[in-house]
Amino acid sequence: MSVIVLLIVAGGLVAAGFLGAFVWAVKTGQYDDTVTPPLRILFDDTRRPGRPPQP
Amino acid sequence: MRAATASPIPPSSPSAPAACRHCGDPCRTPIVTEDGTFCCTGCEAVFRILAAHDLGAFYACEIAPGVSQADAGTRDGGRFALLDDPAVAARFVHGAGQRDAIATFVLPALHCASCVWLLEQLYRFGSGIGRSEVDLLQRTLRVHFSPAVISVRALAERIAALGYEPLLDAERPAAEIPQSRRDLYLKIGVAGFAFGNVMLFSIPQYANGGPLDPEFQRLFNTLNLLFAVPVLVYSAADYFRGAWNAIRGRTMVLDVPIALGLVALFGRSVVDIAGGRGEGFLDSFAGLVFFLLIGRLFQQKAFEAIAFDRTMRSFFPLSVRVERNGTSEMTALEALRPGDVMALRPHEVVPADATLLDDRADLDYAFVTGESAPQEVRGGAAVAAGGRVIGRTLRAAVIRPVSHSRLAALWNHPVFARPKARWLTTVTARFGWWFTAGAVLLAVAGALAWWPDVAMALQVATAVLIIACPCALTLAAPIALGTAMGRLGTRGCYLKHPAVVLDLGRINAIAFDKTGTLTSASGDVQVRTAGLTAEDWCKVQRLAGESVHPISRAISGRGELVGQVSDVREAPGCGLTGCVDGTRVVIGRASFVATEAARLLPAGDDRTWAVVGDRAPGWISVEIEARPGITDAIRRLASRYRVWLLSGDAAHERSRWERLFGRQLRFRLSPEAKLAALSEHQAAATRVLMVGDGLNDAAALAGADVGLAVSDDTACLVPACDGVVRGERLQYLPEFLGYARLARRVIALCFVVSIVYNVLGLGLALAGRLTPLATAILMPLSSMTVIGLAAGLMRRAARELPA
Repeated sequence: MSVIVLLIVAGGLVAAGFLGAFVWAVKTGQYDDTVTPPLRILFDDTRRPGRPPQP
Repeated sequence: MRAATASPIPPSSPSAPAACRHCGDPCRTPIVTEDGTFCCTGCEAVFRILAAHDLGAFYACEIAPGVSQADAGTRDGGRFALLDDPAVAARFVHGAGQRDAIATFVLPALHCASCVWLLEQLYRFGSGIGRSEVDLLQRTLRVHFSPAVISVRALAERIAALGYEPLLDAERPAAEIPQSRRDLYLKIGVAGFAFGNVMLFSIPQYANGGPLDPEFQRLFNTLNLLFAVPVLVYSAADYFRGAWNAIRGRTMVLDVPIALGLVALFGRSVVDIAGGRGEGFLDSFAGLVFFLLIGRLFQQKAFEAIAFDRTMRSFFPLSVRVERNGTSEMTALEALRPGDVMALRPHEVVPADATLLDDRADLDYAFVTGESAPQEVRGGAAVAAGGRVIGRTLRAAVIRPVSHSRLAALWNHPVFARPKARWLTTVTARFGWWFTAGAVLLAVAGALAWWPDVAMALQVATAVLIIACPCALTLAAPIALGTAMGRLGTRGCYLKHPAVVLDLGRINAIAFDKTGTLTSASGDVQVRTAGLTAEDWCKVQRLAGESVHPISRAISGRGELVGQVSDVREAPGCGLTGCVDGTRVVIGRASFVATEAARLLPAGDDRTWAVVGDRAPGWISVEIEARPGITDAIRRLASRYRVWLLSGDAAHERSRWERLFGRQLRFRLSPEAKLAALSEHQAAATRVLMVGDGLNDAAALAGADVGLAVSDDTACLVPACDGVVRGERLQYLPEFLGYARLARRVIALCFVVSIVYNVLGLGLALAGRLTPLATAILMPLSSMTVIGLAAGLMRRAARELPA
């Protein structure tokens, strides 16, 4: 019995972790656009700057 | 005698021109270079920019993916100057530091993979530009940039130079992401999480064959309940809210059966668990909500795609007179730029926020406020979009570009949206009531039939409530009609509401106005006058310039008009009076001029008469040619519909139209008489489409089952009509109506599919063969079939419409 309770708690934590990750992904806008990213991987990219060049 | 002939519309070239290397449009005046043929210098310029930056790969992803630059020359070079204002710029920029800020623009021209590729290479087009990201669905571009190096205005100009004109007048801030969609994802996430865990604890109970150890049973049941509560209060909240609103407002009742089913499942489970009588149906409950929400997500995506079609690509087919470099020309609203000087005639609507250039003007803001008392505006003051010009022509300089969605909002103002009985709403309301009552009764009957077996009874009742959801009505009609409305909008037929498409498909008679509808003042016009001196003719032309009536427009011609006008008064369908440079001028039909100017004129005369001051009356004969293609269109319409001509003018052109309309011709009708003529036919179960220009047939447009206003060369927004057709597109009316009829057939087909599905599903559910979970999976499947059918068929058919 105690083993099962332990397993349930562990399983619940893992599942809650995934739920948390999903909530984070939605809140940071990763589900806002599901059309463009699939196109983006098709391009041969040369250079992708992170920030604009400093003045 | 004098003759003034307006130039005819140039015929389009018969041979197929070459396609532009950049945008793929046919080249009417091809610019041939060694790199290929271009339709305009704008397209060539963009091609050169790309070549210079080693971005020729733009043309590798798609064939001729560019955006046509044919109207680039008409755009005002300083149109982005308002971005220099920090308050305006702030609407586009967020996260502003001096080094790294993010600007978001809406670019309606974004359309393909090549656009994405090009705009994400934006950093190559100037220092200070960093990473950029395109959202193809929302048509937005986010650019990281450094404000110390490049201004927002310069950034917008760079983007515009590539052929992607940023929308400066976005109704919603481009950075704002629709919150409802994120919420839906979160709800699905929570429901899915609960569903998975509840299943985990339910499987042992199914797999064990017999009852579990009571200790485990209690533990699992408690955990299941814990997981199910967030599903009830968070994920399924929309269904309960919808059902509650429906019950309170007695309007939309389609969430009710779902909410009932959910309450039954959850309540029963709690009772079972609390009484220690078993594990309840929490797995079904969580799964049901999970799959229902997935169905809703799919539906929302389909609607978004339609809304996008409509907001971005269709424009109000209106135009205004714009004065540029001393000449004035008619300009379509979408080509109107800040700084342009508009000359707006009485009855026309101010299409964009502007500054008044005249000393004073009277405007009727009924469109905006519902208050019809005219307002006086002083020179230099701001004139807000939506005002209707009263009295005399005013000149105003545009401050902001036209916002089509704002015009649409004005058009839909409740003050004017006199409720017409829309077939769709009546059917939905009636069907919704019957349907809910039927579903609940059937569920109760099913439960009673299984009664001694409580578990089966509950399962059957829930399955019936869920499966009976009429997706054809809730999904097929909005999707098919929304698609149809969007496609018609891009083809010059702009409808007020998707439900109009359905009514358009149900009409069986068409009434046409003549002048301004079948004929066009912008086409071939023959004006002959007699009895007027050259000086008087100028005064008559000047006064006619104050009116938007097609005959007045024909008289005023396209030249420059001189003179001061005051005290203009127009009697719809009769004539016009006013003072030009202090001389009283009366123009109109014989009876009107006879009364107004107290002259003796031949009774029953069909010409237009004019009296200037106390001089002898002169007559004007205006012969306006029929629009190209219109006679053929009417001939085709006559084979299917009853067609009538209801004209307010004199009958002198009778013979010309008799060949088309047979005996169904009526002339000299007052606006009231037109309405009366329509009502007569409507009483005889005839559903009438009225096509008119909205000047003296506004009442008929409002009274007909569907009223379509024809617009060319005016900015008259007829509030009472259900749609606006661009004048030169009227010849495609048979095709438009055919498309509307098809929409009806597509919806009927979806109904059949959905009824077949419902009957099968209900049969299985009543026989107890369908668990609530299975119905929850089947329901989104059937919804998808119906959505796919409706959208797919309407899109396919739209390809046949004349572009």
